[in-house]
Order: sequence, then structure tokens, then C-alpha cells
Amino acid sequence: MAETVSLSNDWTVLDRKLKTFNRLMTTKAAIAQTPKELIWTLNKAKLYRYVPVVPAEKRYPVPMILIFALMNRPTILDLRPGHSFVEYMVGKGYDIYLLDWGVPGPEDSNLKFDDYTLDYMPRAIRKMMQVSGAKEFSMLGWCIGAILTTIYAALRPDDGLRNLVLLTAPLDFSNREQLTFSRWTDERYFDLDKVLAAFGNMPGEMIDFGAKALKPVENYITNYLKLWEGLEDPRVVEAWHSMNTWVTDIFPMAGGAYRQLIVDFYRNNRLVRGELNIRGELVDLKRLRANLLNVIAEGDHITPPCQSEAILPKIGSTDTEVYRVRGGHIGIMAGSGAHKQTWPHIDSWLAARSR
Amino acid sequence: MAGEKNGATADPFEAFRKVRDTYFEGMSKVMIDAVNTEEYAQATGTLLNNYLTASAPFREAMDKAMVMALEHLSLPSRQQVIALAERFTNLETRLDDLDAKLDRIVELSSRPPTAATSRPEEGTQAADAGARSRQQTGRKH
Repeated sequence: MAETVSLSNDWTVLDRKLKTFNRLMTTKAAIAQTPKELIWTLNKAKLYRYVPVVPAEKRYPVPMILIFALMNRPTILDLRPGHSFVEYMVGKGYDIYLLDWGVPGPEDSNLKFDDYTLDYMPRAIRKMMQVSGAKEFSMLGWCIGAILTTIYAALRPDDGLRNLVLLTAPLDFSNREQLTFSRWTDERYFDLDKVLAAFGNMPGEMIDFGAKALKPVENYITNYLKLWEGLEDPRVVEAWHSMNTWVTDIFPMAGGAYRQLIVDFYRNNRLVRGELNIRGELVDLKRLRANLLNVIAEGDHITPPCQSEAILPKIGSTDTEVYRVRGGHIGIMAGSGAHKQTWPHIDSWLAARSR
Repeated sequence: MAGEKNGATADPFEAFRKVRDTYFEGMSKVMIDAVNTEEYAQATGTLLNNYLTASAPFREAMDKAMVMALEHLSLPSRQQVIALAERFTNLETRLDDLDAKLDRIVELSSRPPTAATSRPEEGTQAADAGARSRQQTGRKH
């Protein structure tokens, strides 16, 4: 009799877990919920201002613009209520703006880093300065967003940039032994021209496969096993659901920018070597003079620490700090420990430099 | 039952899970090393290259057929829509330049005359610089 009851309970649990699993796989979580207003657009790019929750007199006068990578949504910065970097920073009194690059269409296949850094970013920043009324600003760049912000900071050092926060910044591509992507995109194996001739933009599915193939067992097996074991825990379920919603929202990267990423960065390491040319201007890192916080994820398999470490001796900033966090490429900002480590550190570093 | 009374439920699958986790940990390291080799890079590159080479004639034939079909139906082709979208972006960029200039005019006109002759705002400079460099290269969006 007892065995029958136990078996029945097991089936009930299994049924409940299957239903939850099915819900997670077939629905989207409500992410990016922090209230914001659209203040500027150009082509697919949009600039949002998050609605302040702190009275104006208690707010920091230096606004901050967030710039994420080109091939994923920036919603990871505002993942879910109660676990959102944006919500955290708005609550601390920062005037936060987000530049969303949008999804490039076939007509954007020629967009390059040149366009992003010299057409889009200066215009978005102008709008931010106009709306905020500030004379100086802070900028946070994550992943490829960190490449863009570094280029911008070096090309336009007099535009009012006071503080620059780089997160998992892939800037130095010299250590090819540690860069799996460098090996995969080597010109002996990877025919970049043929790929872009076929697709125009780099398909999101291929980028997604590349990122997941770096750790195939974790991404294709253990990720789901861990979820299965945590399906009875609502916190695990909601965290997984929101992260999966973000991860599966994939889109292409503009062909021109992808070509530059592979040729100028992965294959020739032009930025750190001082040879990167952006629309006729040589990017001289010595001209980057903003205060710099360089956040490095020690367990990052997409941007290994060696890619971010080399920047400091190359730049002209005098106020610099390297902050190393245990965690991966995304985990340091969106993982369960982010609100105890990375966010408070960014807040304290910025607070001292935003008055 | 005894386990439950002591506050801990005996799980017969615990040992199995440990073995499984150890296996996956080992497997993970093996796979990470495997994908980080020249052989893997060469294999995936060859696979992709072969796929693109094999599919190219079909793609080209499909593109040509589609252009002809759209032409017969008096509908714009993909390339024509793309060209139109690029023109829209160009217009949008010019509007943004105008917006920046208007903002600057409004700001300067609201200042005292002496201040109006001083240096322009950094933000406006940035937009102007972007516009200038775009014009210099004559880049088409």
C-alpha cells in the first residue's frame, strides 16, 4: 500500500516537472521590465532612458550610457525584476541610458564599427547629454560593446567622457593559444568572404552555435540536467526561464562589423597594435584618458582574461582599476552572485567619480 | 523511514548522480580540449565550406527566379527594397543632423550674447564630427 502511494507521488512530481519543463521551453519570460522611455532612434538603434526613481536632488549628476554587444539583446542588463543591473543602478540614483543596436536587416550588411562608433554613438550621446543637461557622462561597454566604447573613448576623448567601465572586454587578441575563436576563424579554415557572400549578415544561429560549442557538454547537456533537478524550486525555475529567454533571442550581426571583428581583431589584433583605422582615423589608445574600471571575469571562456588585461599599459588614463570577479562571461553581471559582487563594486567605483 | 526520522531522506539515486556528474565533468574537459584543436577548426571549416559551395548554385538559381517572378508581378526585388531602406537611413541621419543643429541654435539663442560666442557644446561637436566624417568619406548607409 505504502509503495503504491509512493509511486503515485512520484508520478505526480514527474508530471509537475514535465509541465514546468514544457512551460520553460515553449514560453518567454517577462524580461526587461524596468520602466523606460524611448528618446532617440536612428535606423534600428534606439536610445532609452530609464525612469528615475530617486529624486533629482539626490541623483548623481553624471549620466551613464550602457552599450552592449552587437549580436545579442541588451536586455541581459535588465533581466528580471529584483535581479536587474539597470534596476539596481537606477535605485542607487544613477541616470541610466541604454543604447539598443536593434536587429540588423539585409540593408545593414555594410554597417561597420566605423558607423557604430562615429555615426551612432556620438548622436546617441548628444541626445543623452541634451536630455540630462550634463556636461560629462559615464559609459559602460560589455563584450563587443566594450570594443566599441574603447574605440569611441580613444577617438573622441574630448566629448565629455569621464568614466569608462569595461566588462569582459575582448581587446587583445595576441594570445592565440587561449582563443578558441581565433583558431576557428583562422583564414586557413574559415572562408569569411564565402560566408558573408552567402548570408550578407552573419547569421545569429551560427554565432550562437559558436558560443555554445566552446563548452558543448555544459551548454547542451548539464544545463538541462541542472534545470531538471531544480524544477521544484521556483527561484531556479524563474532564473533559468529569464536567462533562457535572453539566450534564445538570437539575431544576426551586421556583415561589415563581423568582417572587421574577424580580420582586424581576431586575425590581426589591430587595436592593441595601434593599427586600427576607423574611417581614416588611427585609434590611439593613449588618447583614452577617462577614468577606467576594467572588470574581468576569471572564468570567462568567450573573452579569456588575457584579452582584457593588456589594455591598461596601453591607455592614457591615470585613474584605472582592474576588478576580477569569479564567474563567466555573462554570469558576472547576470548570475546569482552579481548583486553581491559586481554591481556593488561598479556602484562604489562610479559613485566616487560621478559627483 | 529511519532516515526521514533523522531529518534526512535517503536517496537511492544519490550515488548514481555523483557518478554521472563526475562523468560529465570529465567529458566536459575532453570536449573543451577537443574543440580547441586545429583538427576541429579544420573539420568545421571544411564542413561549412563544402555546404556553402554545394548550396551556392541553388541559392543563385533561386535568387534569379525570385527576381524574375517579382518583376512579372510588378513587385520590387529584395535589392530594390534594400536600396530604399538605405535611403531611408540616410534621410534619418540627415534629420538627426538637423535636430542637433536646431538644438544648438536654441541653446545658443537662450544664452547671453558673450556666452554664445564661446566654444560649442561637446555633445553637438560629437554629432557634428560624426556628420563631418560621414560626409568626408561619402559613405552610403
